[in-house]
Amino acid sequence: MSTLRSEEMILNVGPQHPSTHGVFRLVVTIDGEEIVDADPVVGYLHRGTEKLAENLQYTQIIPYTDRLDYLASMINNYALVHAVEYALDLEIPERAEHLRIIVMELNRIASHLLFVGAYLLDLGAMSPFLYVFQERERIVQLFTEICGARLTYNYMRIGGVKWDAPPGWLQKVREFIPFMREKIRMYDDLISGNEIFLNRVKGTGVFTQEEAINHSLSGINLRSTGFNWDLRKNQPYGIYDRFDFDVVLGQKGDCFDRYWLHMLEMEQSLRIVEQAVEAIGDGLILGKVPKLIRVPAGEYYAGIEGARGELGVYIVSDGKDKPYRLKLRRPSFVNLQILRKLLIGQSMSNLIAILGAVDIVLGEVDG
Amino acid sequence: MFGVFKGLGVTIRQLPKKKVTLMYPEVKPVWPERYRGIHEFIPELCIVCNQCARICPTDCISLSGTRDENKKLRIDTYDINFEICILCDLCTEVCPTESIRMTDQFELASYTRDSLYKDMKWLYQNHIEHGSYQALQAAKTEEEANAAREAQAANAEAASGAGQKASPEEANAARMPADETVSSSGKGGQPE
Amino acid sequence: MLNWQSSPLTGIGFLGMVIGGVLILGLILGIVTYLIYFERKIIGWMQLRIGPNRVGPFGLMQSIADVLKLLIKEDIVPENADRSLFLLAPIIAFVPSFMVLALIPFTATHVFTSNTQVGLLLYLALSSITILGIVLGGWASNNKYSLLGGMRSAAQMVSYEIPLGMSVIGVVLLTGSLNLNTIVVAQSRHIWYIIPQIVGFIIFMIAGLAELNRTPFDLPEAESELVAGYFTEYSGFRFAFFMLTEYVYVFALCALATTLFLGGWSGPFLPSWIWFAIKTSACIFFIFWVRATMPRIRGDQLMGFAWKVLIPVALANLIVTAGVALL
Ligand code: SF4
Ligand code: SF4
Repeated sequence: MSTLRSEEMILNVGPQHPSTHGVFRLVVTIDGEEIVDADPVVGYLHRGTEKLAENLQYTQIIPYTDRLDYLASMINNYALVHAVEYALDLEIPERAEHLRIIVMELNRIASHLLFVGAYLLDLGAMSPFLYVFQERERIVQLFTEICGARLTYNYMRIGGVKWDAPPGWLQKVREFIPFMREKIRMYDDLISGNEIFLNRVKGTGVFTQEEAINHSLSGINLRSTGFNWDLRKNQPYGIYDRFDFDVVLGQKGDCFDRYWLHMLEMEQSLRIVEQAVEAIGDGLILGKVPKLIRVPAGEYYAGIEGARGELGVYIVSDGKDKPYRLKLRRPSFVNLQILRKLLIGQSMSNLIAILGAVDIVLGEVDG
Repeated sequence: MFGVFKGLGVTIRQLPKKKVTLMYPEVKPVWPERYRGIHEFIPELCIVCNQCARICPTDCISLSGTRDENKKLRIDTYDINFEICILCDLCTEVCPTESIRMTDQFELASYTRDSLYKDMKWLYQNHIEHGSYQALQAAKTEEEANAAREAQAANAEAASGAGQKASPEEANAARMPADETVSSSGKGGQPE
Repeated sequence: MLNWQSSPLTGIGFLGMVIGGVLILGLILGIVTYLIYFERKIIGWMQLRIGPNRVGPFGLMQSIADVLKLLIKEDIVPENADRSLFLLAPIIAFVPSFMVLALIPFTATHVFTSNTQVGLLLYLALSSITILGIVLGGWASNNKYSLLGGMRSAAQMVSYEIPLGMSVIGVVLLTGSLNLNTIVVAQSRHIWYIIPQIVGFIIFMIAGLAELNRTPFDLPEAESELVAGYFTEYSGFRFAFFMLTEYVYVFALCALATTLFLGGWSGPFLPSWIWFAIKTSACIFFIFWVRATMPRIRGDQLMGFAWKVLIPVALANLIVTAGVALL
């Protein structure tokens, strides 16, 4: 039989497409349903955070970091203040450190929850997306109580945090933990055992440890290949070394592992929150900081484990109150690099499954 | 094969549960105390120190003030451009007199961009309608009442010291001179 | 039983037919409108929402408002579309969906039912015409997403037609008739065919879901992948036609499942049409329930499932049934 003549066609997925999680554009060349080439186009949400930061005092940059990975603003806040504190060698009061850990881990849970919901929505199941918003709402309400905003928290300050926990807040966090544990079990019932879901994600989008490292992946994308790398453990920052938690690892590096690690990490985060809520003592929430923060001239880098990977802040200072240059290592952006490799040779319906599992947030990709 | 049915079980169990939808325009969400909504502005308190405008990361506050006859700075205009305000709360954080604060209002949607440019009058109105006006007013009357009570007590003491009885009917009368003293002392403090 | 079906065609008889046709058309439109409403409500409740609640009391007028909105919207034909096919496609998809309803015996006194001897066959034949409309719609839109959606649905519906057809042959074997009325009567005498034909029923429901393009087989209109699949470019009332087709088929397929496996209109005490309504609603509820739960199956797995699982199982079921029927 002579080969059928087939024609390649170029399909623009995005920038306005229901499953690109924002304004992400993917130019795919397809042959039938098979992807021959994929070219991610980013920048539709570019706001120039790094450039803007050069004209802002360090405190003023904090609200801008909220807008990077808008699903995990607390962690972004922390990345910046942590870098500045590291540069200034500041002492942080104990209570502030604990509050930071609590809000960051809660935020990680909220972010992972949304990943689970959105991923399932991509795969065609719409209920999980609406269920996760309930748990997330509890977290968001906790955040509203402590800092007054639902999404863009602007909670961390250089040297501490802005607000102390309002009365009863810690109790609410304590109550949240068993509630969340139960809900995780519910999601296991609803999703993790569903054969249709398993068939779609198991064995799709596989990459090896080596590829992951070569593409500079971090976070769950890296850990899904079984590589043990979590900055909270490997380069402990803040007071993470005091808490007992496991770094959960995948084995195959496929989409299912990535999904599953999100579920497992939520439990680990709950463990950290549990310990932090018990360990928190009274005290100051803001350390001794100069009124005008000037970072001594030099270059500083501090990386933390964000919700999506290593979130690094690189400050070049010339000794003024504004950074000379601020570079953000945005994990979503870096993780996106492997997408092309993953997509080539796959079918169109795997596209969404793979893109979803890489877990990008466009605010972070585009900076 | 049973994972599918487990999932079906989960969804059907949600069916009779209480729904979480908030009937929004009719039922407003209840915000906690620290909620960061649209600003309110209290001109009497502002000392035109310009700190809020300086800290604002998006440069959306513009203000101007003049010195009055007492060399005291008075605010003349105070505008916030809500097109670019990110409700970050930094301005209220730095304000030494708490003349700029945040309310729990969040409904900013409008048909024109111009209407997002809120001036002092609007912000003050927001203070009266949605802001801390009530609380402040209550605190003020409380303070006044406290002052009056103290003055009354002092009067009564003075009266008893002079060997005269103070009847409750005189309380009102006793309050008037006390008020006068306060205001006159206030006047006396000012350079003539 | 009214006998206009067997009596010669007179003027009065013809008038009756027309009136009956219009009546049932209106009735089905009403049913479909509220089908959409109930889908949204039920899925809403399962997702802890309250579903439509603004238009009319309890949002009862929501679907009507939606339909009205679609009717008054501009009818856009893309410039590069194949105009005549583009305009024709919704009609090709829509007409058979109403035609199949003429075959379903809604009540014991099938006033509006054509008591044809090949009812089941006709149902399957008519419903495959719709695929043509969908493929044409996808092709004529000259949109890549539409094309992909159209191709997917062609592949899917053609594949699943086979297990669907095979699963009902078991029923036909047991009854010895293709007449839907006869099938119901046979069930009311003996036993609902869901019991001897449970395998057939399961295959029928799965293949039916695939035929309907509903979750977990909603690939042709996979919103998260293909925007809206074959009707991406359609707007206004042509879009409404496609929507309507989909929901009429939901109703028709559930009605067919009721007729074939659940004893149709037969049942004790209550009037026959209520029995029919209850059983059909149960089927429809099941479809909505599945939609609220399942993710979407992948294209190649979908095909594999049809050819490697459903068809062999249906065949085995058929052979066993034939053996039993023979004894
Ligand atoms: S909230 Fe932030 S952006 Fe808005 S006026 Fe205050 S400082 Fe400026
Ligand atoms: S910081 Fe407060 S007191 Fe100073 S100018 Fe702004 S509003 Fe007025």
